[in-house]
Amino acid sequence: MSEQTKVEYIPKIERGIVVDHIPVGYGVKVLKIIRSYPGMKDVVTTIGLNYLSTKLGRKDMLKLVTDELPQEILDHMSLVSPGISIKRIRDYQVDKKFVITTPTEITGQVLCRNPNCITNHERHMTTCFKATRRDPGKYRCMFCERVFFLGELELISR
Amino acid sequence: MKMDLISATDLGLDEIQEFLTLAAKMDEMPAVEKVDLLKGRVLMVMFYEPSTRTRLSFEAAMVRLGGAVIGFSDTASTSVSKGETLRDTVLTGERYADVIVIRHPQEGAARLAAGAASIPVINAGDGANQHPTQTLLDLHTIRKNFGRTSGLKIALAGDLKYGRTVHSLFQALLKFQGNEFLLISPPTLRLPDYLLAEARAKNVKVEESTDLQTAIHTCDIVYMTRIQRERFADVLEYEKVKDAFVIDAAMLADAPKKLKILHPLPRVNEISPDVDGTTYAGYFPQVYNGMIMRQAILLKLLGVKI
Repeated sequence: MSEQTKVEYIPKIERGIVVDHIPVGYGVKVLKIIRSYPGMKDVVTTIGLNYLSTKLGRKDMLKLVTDELPQEILDHMSLVSPGISIKRIRDYQVDKKFVITTPTEITGQVLCRNPNCITNHERHMTTCFKATRRDPGKYRCMFCERVFFLGELELISR
Repeated sequence: MKMDLISATDLGLDEIQEFLTLAAKMDEMPAVEKVDLLKGRVLMVMFYEPSTRTRLSFEAAMVRLGGAVIGFSDTASTSVSKGETLRDTVLTGERYADVIVIRHPQEGAARLAAGAASIPVINAGDGANQHPTQTLLDLHTIRKNFGRTSGLKIALAGDLKYGRTVHSLFQALLKFQGNEFLLISPPTLRLPDYLLAEARAKNVKVEESTDLQTAIHTCDIVYMTRIQRERFADVLEYEKVKDAFVIDAAMLADAPKKLKILHPLPRVNEISPDVDGTTYAGYFPQVYNGMIMRQAILLKLLGVKI
């Protein structure tokens, strides 16, 4: 994709946040998470799907006209897809850039996939997953001890 | 801080050695000297699914140390049937007892109970997940027979895919130096890859085979397991493999003297009754060793020194 078409497809924003390098197919999911937080529904947003990316081949992207994304939202997004980059835009330029990393522990935010895990049967349970040492990107349920990829785990609806 | 026994994966080599040393001491101690060790202490047995061996083993262990046992082994007559949460049942039980032993059909139940209780909790099986006292009693049995738990050649035979007993035992034996494994199973019931990878990471020699006779002649231990019918969606598939690995006395005709055949029990057809009377049969003594190891576990968790 040439510089010319980039401009055509993705209008630049003067001030805001770009959520970039979202793995293809996850753009809508990430947007849903952001919009589930108070005040985020009204933010002017552009969503781009299936853009060409030198890093990922294809990628999804969001542009939000908002000053900051609170840490709580960033943590939540990291559960869906770590590796997303966040760019803060001021005067059309990237003012600050960082990559969201995977959490080492996830408490009360995702459900265990094992239907026979006690966390799916007992009322008032808080789930807990910890990153495994041997398999990067995989998490172990601290109750049933099963191991899952982060993307396999369903978010607890807010 | 209170100590629980929830998962074999929580145990380091030092802790395993401590349990084995304590069990060896309990094995040597005359029964008459044990009778007051846990006098006045109460064990709460919370069994949410049926079990004969494990429950009786814990109860016998406690009673023979002078302690008392309360609890249930059928949830129909408890508040559980009224919809009480596991957490509430544990918070109630701990007011009556000094230690809880729990078996539950759902994975992670014992971890939940341990988190809720202020007294020690022992996992006696949580679904398909863990059964750490079985692992410890297997290690105790091995040490009792061979004087060590390292430098042995162990055949694991039968259902190696679903059997939590063999998974935990395999992982525990990997912690000791110089053990080698021969895995005997139908191709559909092989040991899961993640466990094979753990062995590879430690450069442990592991062979896979379907030849039980060779195992009998080359290994120190043949650990048999039952092939469980309920694991098969297709009955025909089960029929094909159910009697694939059966040991009988004739197969043991030229077996080396050192060989021990172990089994977590109950057995179905995998060990013929004509093996019971041979010197190779280690599975009924294994039941006794289970009670001894559980005595050691109760003493350690209750902080009683001997």
